[in-house]
Amino acid sequence: MSNSVIGSKKKWITKKTLIYLILIGGSLVILSPVWWMIATSLKTPQEIAQYPPSFWPDSFKFSNYLEAWQTAPFTRWTLNTLLISGLSTIGSVLANAFIAYGFAVIKFKGKNLLFGIVMATMLIPGFVTLVPQYIIFAKIGWVNTYLPLIVPSFLGSAFFIFLIRQFMRTIPKDMVEAAKMDGANHFQIWWRIILPQIKPALITVAIFSFNGSWNDLLGPLLYLNDENLYTLQIGLQTFKGTVSTQWNYLMAMSTTVLLPIILLFFYFQRYFIEGSNLTGGQKF
Amino acid sequence: MSGMKEHPIQLGTTQKNKVHNGKSRDRAIRKPKMSKLSLKENIWGYIFIAPWIIGFLGLTLGPLVFSLITSFTDYNVTSQMHFTGFDNYKRMFTIDPLFWTSLYNTVYFVVFSVPLTTAGAVIVAMLLNQKMKGIKIFRTIYYLPAVLSGVAVYFLWMQLLSPSTGLVNTVLAWFGIDGPAWLFEPEWTKPALVMMKMWSVGGGMLLYLAVMQGVPKAMYEAAELDGAGSIRKFFHITLPMITPIIFFDMVTSTIGAFQIFQEAYVMTDSGEGGPSNSLLFYNLHMWNNAFEIFDMGYASAMAWVLFVIVMILTFLHFKLSKKWVYYESGDEK
Amino acid sequence: MKKWLMIVCAGLLAVLSACSSGSADNTNAEGKVELDFWTFWGSETRRPMIEKLIEDFNNSQDEIVVKHTYVPWGDIWTKNLAAIAAGDPPDVIVNDIRTVKIRASNNQVEDLSEWVDDDLKDSFYPHLWDAVTYNDKAYALPFTTDTRMLFYNKDAFREAGLDPDKPPRTWEELKEYSDKLTVKNDDGGYEQVGYYPNWGNFTTHDWMINADNGKGLMEGGKPTINTPAKKEAIQWMYDWKQELGAEAVQNMKAEFGNEQQDPFISGKVAMWAEIGTFYKQLQEFGGDLDYGVATMPAYNENTEPWSTGGGFVMEIPKGAKNPEASMKFIKYLTDVEAQTYWGENNFDNIANKKATEQITENLDGKGEEIFHKSMESLEHTYLSITPPEYPEYENLVNPLIDDALNGKISVEEALDQAQKDVENSKQ
Repeated sequence: MSNSVIGSKKKWITKKTLIYLILIGGSLVILSPVWWMIATSLKTPQEIAQYPPSFWPDSFKFSNYLEAWQTAPFTRWTLNTLLISGLSTIGSVLANAFIAYGFAVIKFKGKNLLFGIVMATMLIPGFVTLVPQYIIFAKIGWVNTYLPLIVPSFLGSAFFIFLIRQFMRTIPKDMVEAAKMDGANHFQIWWRIILPQIKPALITVAIFSFNGSWNDLLGPLLYLNDENLYTLQIGLQTFKGTVSTQWNYLMAMSTTVLLPIILLFFYFQRYFIEGSNLTGGQKF
Repeated sequence: MSGMKEHPIQLGTTQKNKVHNGKSRDRAIRKPKMSKLSLKENIWGYIFIAPWIIGFLGLTLGPLVFSLITSFTDYNVTSQMHFTGFDNYKRMFTIDPLFWTSLYNTVYFVVFSVPLTTAGAVIVAMLLNQKMKGIKIFRTIYYLPAVLSGVAVYFLWMQLLSPSTGLVNTVLAWFGIDGPAWLFEPEWTKPALVMMKMWSVGGGMLLYLAVMQGVPKAMYEAAELDGAGSIRKFFHITLPMITPIIFFDMVTSTIGAFQIFQEAYVMTDSGEGGPSNSLLFYNLHMWNNAFEIFDMGYASAMAWVLFVIVMILTFLHFKLSKKWVYYESGDEK
Repeated sequence: MKKWLMIVCAGLLAVLSACSSGSADNTNAEGKVELDFWTFWGSETRRPMIEKLIEDFNNSQDEIVVKHTYVPWGDIWTKNLAAIAAGDPPDVIVNDIRTVKIRASNNQVEDLSEWVDDDLKDSFYPHLWDAVTYNDKAYALPFTTDTRMLFYNKDAFREAGLDPDKPPRTWEELKEYSDKLTVKNDDGGYEQVGYYPNWGNFTTHDWMINADNGKGLMEGGKPTINTPAKKEAIQWMYDWKQELGAEAVQNMKAEFGNEQQDPFISGKVAMWAEIGTFYKQLQEFGGDLDYGVATMPAYNENTEPWSTGGGFVMEIPKGAKNPEASMKFIKYLTDVEAQTYWGENNFDNIANKKATEQITENLDGKGEEIFHKSMESLEHTYLSITPPEYPEYENLVNPLIDDALNGKISVEEALDQAQKDVENSKQ
């Protein structure tokens, strides 16, 4: 008995080392371009123009970050972006979870057809409807406001509806039935039973939609005419000139813009409770 | 398993009684009650999907129908719109050589990128779904590429794929492989893009990680008692439990891969299509028609042809899914 | 528990929509006409310049106020198109000179001929004026132009035993010089390449035009792609590529492709084709690089040293509310004073003839040398205008040329096929 325990422990340790090795190897692959981005953000323009490119910056020019920030109203643009991304994330999580519940749990007439249409809306490339949609927003006077960037999030998106529906369908049905027996209505079931069950999915949707909204360039660019309303992604474009690009500033600001999303992800990870014990060895 | 005990809902006693009363009456007059119940369900159903219906009618349906109509015209966005019958479709299939090039390039990309990225994401999620020190940091690192976006990333990759000094070929050289010129050789441009997609499987990984959290521990424990090893546990428990998300991932990434655009747009000098047009993807060709030469009618026709192709594929996906996707909640469609 | 969140959102949305309803009216409180002017000049160097010009204009009169909006390069056209379709475009926009005719034929720009007279027309270079007219009507006023020249490394010339004051004047000399300037590594790679015709800012189409003595790929509204001279140009490039080694050429092109390292500044390539504003980069990053500038070499002694160019125009999008006031502003931007300022500070070639003369007087040193050379080059600069009948000809021609340069098909076949494909694509 004790032998087999030791044996399995040993096995677990070698396996763990192997996993670490794989993970570290993969991390290097992933991080190398990121390092290149950070390295460029710390170089002088002269060093960037040199060939072959240097891996390690000659001098760490941290002032690039401050200088880049000061070339344009980036503080203002950061706040704008936070507002848009924050609101559309809230809208996206609530609306899509709500709509998905309808498609995943409730039986109603025309459901399959409507869900088919939901899927179909994903299939048309955005830029074919870009102009007609712009015209709609222009006619209701929403151009040069944040409404075209936020309100659609409150009306659901096919990708997220489908995603949450899939998650909801991993929940055993008798749970819903039992709640119904206890007299809960659908709203209560949605809020109190289903939502807590799919927290990881909701966090995923939140991360995805914050990300999407934070990185969106075309939306703000189309609908905003006033530079005071601009977002960070438009701001990044200012470093790209028609003739030459200020790479050091572009990379410095790209790194800065990336930080909030990384922090957000790191923070929200706690909702992915630690691994579900696939290997099982820890019990001993 | 019945989860009611773990997830009690507090309800007033009056409500509870009502339900019990209702139930007893149910037995007495069954039929009419049922239809009333389904009417109620119908109403609830529409309440829940109401936001989507509003969005669809207000923002999507109009433009969608409009694009279908314009596909039969010579619409140029700003002034003209004459009915031209099936001319756009005819031109696509019989005259425009770039249509076939772009369709071929796109299908090539879909066929390789979808299975590879899906498998990649599952594997990475498996590795990251461990209880180990520093796993949070690893998860963040692996998710990083999914966050990185925009032109900067494409330039990063152009650097990595550079034939003589790029990282990719340097690593290949360690194994004695003489790497190709990637973005500069027509045969290698698409594989290069597939590789780039593989790099950012972090987004898909996140989905799998999320669904793996939902797999009840008890199931693994029971399997262990039966002496199941990790491989068997993966194929008998984890894999079936995550099939709904694999299905989701396959469907959406197929749709996404058919619409590949930005990568090619940026990496080929504003949409020129790369060496020998090897990166002229369907949407890039469509974009050029719509916004470079203002032939929105033709672009709309292209969009609808793609729509039909992807629609058929998605439909097949759904049909086939019944054979392999496992839903805990039962098997309605 | 999360109700407060909902309340906060609702409140914010209400505030947003309230403060958003901007005035559709184009006159402001003081009764001045307000013009919205879109440019893609948002960089640290260009933005202050265009804004200075705008400020001067605003101060010079009291009827019109111009407001500048920066919209990123490339996307600016998409936004403009959507705005035109919605009937709410900007008043004035900067656009590409090569596609004015396409926009005119698609009814996306206002006809300006009502405010144009011969004096105005004559103040611009004639080839630029041709580019902004469609069916004899002017749809834009030219703002800037450019021309490709040959920058060469004088130090490298000296090392190779060449006279640094005698840049190559013909293809033959170009090849001869390049051979002398090309230095191989021990490991078979190149320490320095003299020149390669498909790098830099002067490539396949440009050399074809140069070979054909200034005849473009489209002449008189018809494709003229498979002429003997153009075939010869591609063959010449193919042979050059074979000589350097296809792989080496590709590798080096890839290294320069990320637009960061500059092969000319780093001394990897001794001769490099670029436009005049390259001077700005050389000034900033070039250190003490000793370089000269020349017009592009001619095909032979009997042809002219043809170069190619592009440029930008000022135009009024279709449906703009105040064309008359907008035209006043455009005229100001293309008049001597504003043009002189822009040219002196940006090293763009400008469209106004008088302003160009003035700049030559004001400049000195290296700047003067380059500006002078660019004026000489402008005399034989071909402006590739996309004809409305064949809007996508480049997309059809380029892949075939790629195939020819990669040796997949013969040059003969490639250009004949290109000619045929383009003829078939007529709209």
